[in-house]
Amino acid sequence: MHPSLSFDQAPPISVPYRFFLVAPWFGVMAGILLAWSGGDALASRWTPQALALTHLIALGFMLQAMCGALFQFIPVAVGGNVWRPKLVANTVQPLLLLATLLLVGGLLFSRPGLLSAAAPLFLLAVGGFVIVVALALWRTPATGMTLWAMRMAIGGLAVTVLFGALLAEALARGFSVPVVELADIHLAWGLAGWALTLLAGVSYYVVPMFQLTRPYPLWFTRWFGPLLLLLLLAWSSRLLLEDARWSLAIALSLLALVSAYAGMTLWLQYTRRRKVHDATSMCFRLANLSVLAFAISGTGFFLYPELGADPRSAVWLGVLAFAGAFVSAITGMMYKIVPFLNWLHLQRLGAPLSAVPNMNKMIPAEAMTGQLRLHILAVVLLLAAVWLPGLTRLAGLTFAVSFAWMGWNLVDAVRRYQSFRYQIRAAALHH
Amino acid sequence: MTTVIDGREMQPPEPMERALEALDTLAEGDDLLLLLYCQPHPLFNILRQNGYAWSDELRADGTREIRIHKL
Repeated sequence: MHPSLSFDQAPPISVPYRFFLVAPWFGVMAGILLAWSGGDALASRWTPQALALTHLIALGFMLQAMCGALFQFIPVAVGGNVWRPKLVANTVQPLLLLATLLLVGGLLFSRPGLLSAAAPLFLLAVGGFVIVVALALWRTPATGMTLWAMRMAIGGLAVTVLFGALLAEALARGFSVPVVELADIHLAWGLAGWALTLLAGVSYYVVPMFQLTRPYPLWFTRWFGPLLLLLLLAWSSRLLLEDARWSLAIALSLLALVSAYAGMTLWLQYTRRRKVHDATSMCFRLANLSVLAFAISGTGFFLYPELGADPRSAVWLGVLAFAGAFVSAITGMMYKIVPFLNWLHLQRLGAPLSAVPNMNKMIPAEAMTGQLRLHILAVVLLLAAVWLPGLTRLAGLTFAVSFAWMGWNLVDAVRRYQSFRYQIRAAALHH
Repeated sequence: MTTVIDGREMQPPEPMERALEALDTLAEGDDLLLLLYCQPHPLFNILRQNGYAWSDELRADGTREIRIHKL
């Protein structure tokens, strides 16, 4: 420990790492599934393969990584205490893993029994996680828009999973429900209410800190979350109101708001005083360019229905949102969080500051940028494969290799942590 | 006497490293002024556990002025 100071009780490093280490391998599974399925998989958003792929990424990669990050981010960024993090992580993670595999199996092989089994497991796992996280977020004395965004995001996660469980049960038991409308609402809450709201809240904190930009303007952070919430509620009203013009107005407003976040982040990056060209900055740039491309093409598909009528147009949007935006942003976050956690936890071992290796010794910069380049290639190939089905297998394979590389980079970081920890302890014994 | 650390253009964990080093040599009655764009909760926890008090003010440009002194 630093000579005269004692450190706080952040959760054990194993809590976030168990989520981070598993997440990339779901991306590998998604890539292999796509390579194995070939061209027909991306013919529409409703093919069994497309549904399975979406959930491998959304639940296997994104949700795992975001849960792991929240356990760590809540104490560090908003000073909240998550109740018994180790116990919660040890309970929630296996349940989530099992539920994800059951759901993906159920969607891919059209097995109602698997869907029925997955739904209650999700309600249990995510329900428990939401309650514990919500308590931590409401009890902290901290203030600020990052905290409010996280509170909204955790509510968004709850809504997403409720609609998801309803859809899974409806598909499994053949209930007559408006499946398309429910799926659109489930998707909007998942992408915008949960994932984008969390990303925005985290961005308010980490973009100025790690990418050395000016802070997000206060008016922006005050209005973005509440407006998004309002628009999502309006979007959900399509279950009750069947008015095409109302739906169109809400969809276009949602896309405009989403592009405001992306535009603001890109503008802050562009106007920063000190240029940092690390993997995280590039990941965030790619993510926000993908969000802009999503908003522009989405607007085009809504305004020119003859374009949007092709079932492949929704798959194009899905690739931009999941692979282009969220996989990139989460990768960038993990490449910052993992070296920082290695540093923070080594710091707490009691060595003087000078004995703790610098953060950039934790994952080699070339390994991160190399993996990122392969990821960019995978996204481009995926986008091309939407319209040129002959490229699907190559795109899937590239996607799988890119995720395997990411998985290896994270495993390597943990191995370095263990080796530095051993060196620091050995040095302490000699003194 | 006030020691100033402007951490706004430093990449983490440099502001925290600098702050911890400065606290080690902070004399009674002196204070440390840390300028950041975020609230450093890990540092606040360390301060709380080690008998330091701090105030945190938000400037209009988004800078947080964190003034630390020994209790």
